Amino acid sequence: MTFTLVALFIVVVAFTAIAIGAFGWAAKTGQFHGLEAGARSIFDTDEPIGRPTDHFPERGRKSKASV
Amino acid sequence: MTSPSSSSSPKGPKAALADALDRAAIDASCRLPVLLFFGSAIAWLLVGSVFALLAAIKLTTPEFLADHAWLTFGRVRPAHLNAVAYGWSSTAAIGVAIWLMARLCRVPLRHARILVAAAVLWNLGVAIGVTAILAGASNAIEWLEFPTYAAFILFVSYAFIAVWAVLMFRERRPGHVYVSQWYIFGAFFWFPWLYSVVNSMLVFWPVQGSVQAIINWWFGHNVLGLWFTPIALASTYYMIPKILGKPIHSYYLSILGFWSLALFYSWNGGHHLLGGPIPAWLQSASIVASVMMLIPVITTAINFHMTMRGSFALLRTSPALRFTVFGAMCYTVVSAQGSSMALRSLNKLTHFTHYTIGHAHLGMYAFFTMTMFGAMYYITPRLVRWEWPSAFLIKAHFWLASTGILLMVVSLTLGGLIQGIELENPKVPFLTIVAHTIPWLHARSWSGALLTTGHLAFALSFVLILLRTGKQREGPTLFTKERSFP
Amino acid sequence: MNRGLTLFVGILATFTLAWAGLVLIPYLQFGRVTDYVSEETGQTLPPPMSGLAQRGHEVYAAEGCVYCHSQQVRGESQGSDLARGWGVRRTVARDYIGERPHFLGTMRTGPDLSNIGRRQSSVEWHHKHLYRPQSVSPGSVMPPFRFLYSLRKIVGEPSADALKLDGLDAPPPGWEVVPTPDAKALVAYLLSLDRSYPLPEAPTE
Ligand code: HEC
Repeated sequence: MTFTLVALFIVVVAFTAIAIGAFGWAAKTGQFHGLEAGARSIFDTDEPIGRPTDHFPERGRKSKASV
Repeated sequence: MTSPSSSSSPKGPKAALADALDRAAIDASCRLPVLLFFGSAIAWLLVGSVFALLAAIKLTTPEFLADHAWLTFGRVRPAHLNAVAYGWSSTAAIGVAIWLMARLCRVPLRHARILVAAAVLWNLGVAIGVTAILAGASNAIEWLEFPTYAAFILFVSYAFIAVWAVLMFRERRPGHVYVSQWYIFGAFFWFPWLYSVVNSMLVFWPVQGSVQAIINWWFGHNVLGLWFTPIALASTYYMIPKILGKPIHSYYLSILGFWSLALFYSWNGGHHLLGGPIPAWLQSASIVASVMMLIPVITTAINFHMTMRGSFALLRTSPALRFTVFGAMCYTVVSAQGSSMALRSLNKLTHFTHYTIGHAHLGMYAFFTMTMFGAMYYITPRLVRWEWPSAFLIKAHFWLASTGILLMVVSLTLGGLIQGIELENPKVPFLTIVAHTIPWLHARSWSGALLTTGHLAFALSFVLILLRTGKQREGPTLFTKERSFP
Repeated sequence: MNRGLTLFVGILATFTLAWAGLVLIPYLQFGRVTDYVSEETGQTLPPPMSGLAQRGHEVYAAEGCVYCHSQQVRGESQGSDLARGWGVRRTVARDYIGERPHFLGTMRTGPDLSNIGRRQSSVEWHHKHLYRPQSVSPGSVMPPFRFLYSLRKIVGEPSADALKLDGLDAPPPGWEVVPTPDAKALVAYLLSLDRSYPLPEAPTE
């Protein structure tokens, strides 16, 4: 029982270390850079920033004309 | 003929047309599997609503349909939970996640056959499971009522989906991994783990006594926080910016939100057993983690709010946005409420009462289900290439669903508080408490009727759009109608 | 750029941590609690369940009693369970070691049943109550479980276990209502619910 608990503790510590290590690696190698580019990655030239893409059916024609 | 959309894009009409065609090809590639998941999800939503109404009426009128073993309250209630959790919510979540994955990987969906097989198996598993509950073969473990044979089918189906997700991710077009994909990945990884661990530790080789309860609620809570919540957030992180045409306010906050959710949510389960026969340290750890949940929730709330700022007017014109934002707001409310319910002083009152049921519906309906409705309103027309036939049906759905869920949460919350306060006072006889809850339970039955009517409106809309009824309109969903498609 | 690995490791790590904390450690700590043999009386505690009660446990699961009834008594500082007379002490992990599945429950639409066998030990009352709860508890919202009983024509002598029903519930003359084996097992299970014995970690004073 105590042995299992110690083993478990080591596992937990190891995982935390891996997680911290992975986070450090990610930060160092620039995985968190260019975040704003990430935010823009869902837009394209046909549906660019600044163009709403959903309307109630009836309003479709009207609002489209006004864009 | 050039459409207005291409004239306004910076790189000129050619690039815009190419992008539009790409996107249309991706959407078209998702059609069969996603519509299969959506369609069956909606069917289960209706089935789940019927069970819900039966259970609600039985709780005020015990003699109602009482002589059929299959329809006794203790079977109809878990049939409701499982039909909506596995039949509606999970199926809808998988459909939305598939579409998001294809769009965010920026490649047409491949290996559709895996998904179709998964959809068929999933529905089979849910159907067998719900029938087994009604037949009295339930495990009687909350959230895990499905007997092993049904659970096993679900697990196989899920394995198909997870394998597909990994294949898709590997074939993605290089570029940024958008935050929605993080959430979807987390969910696709966590759910099979959770589901297989609990089934083996509770059903195949059950552990002992109260450890079962701990594992039970570790699952019961994580299935909300690490399966339904991440998919709904993945959808929200895509839908709000995409519909507004505005990048998310802070991408950094969204990632912070992801990791803090993963870290804290998974420790919450113990708060379902406060005061129960489980270790004290575990109760304390769960309380702390539940309060820490405020971090991911507040960052997410700020992020959505700042993104929406200045664009609230669009709620009037976009059905998908309206449902999604309603869901996002309720996410904040339900999470703050959840954190408070883990505090011992409040838990003492609300534990074991209808208050908890109100909280559960605020989470699974007002947040999760409304978000899924929003996503379906956005996705379906793009798959069918047809506009929703009736704005009236959409509006009816929204108002029935939102007032219905509001009425439900308010009545269960107030009724539950009264129940909790009276339970706490040993001088109040039990039957008096029962009598005092009944008016609130009546109100809940009425709220269920509103919700069910809303679901019928939604189902009708869905059938009509699949049949492509109504006149062909030139709305934003048919953004490239005037261009010829391959 | 490939975030796939970071994501995977992070997702794995956060979750493993919680799994170890919330599942593995409690399992190691409590998973092997054994029963306790009282030094004074030589009794095994908790008392093992009879075969019939075990069968009743299954009926309890199938009919979903757990959705309205809890089976856990919280301590004094956490609710009024003791003051309501639902038990003489809080329940502890050892009380549940034989139970598969557990019926701790999360709702108290009905009263806690941890000690119902002690509180209400009349077989007749339980049958009457299950047949139509409102006959003994007016205003109850508990559903009737009449489908666990059969109505049959009396041939020769009336059965010894026929329910003594009156008023609304009385069967037509010449007929009787008898519990099915499921109903008998369920009542045997309810009567077995008595967690008032003292344990070292939960004395009753
Ligand atoms: C819809 C909720 C509900 C369900 C399902 C339900 N009960 Fe009840 N039960 C109640 C309520 C409310 C009471 C309190 C009023 C009364 O005595 O009937 C109660 C009371 C009881 C009592 C008496 C408790 C006491 O302290 O006097 C017993 C015993 C009982 N139920 C057993 C069962 C069993 C066994 C089942 C499953 C076959 C079951 N109940 C299913 C709601 C429910």
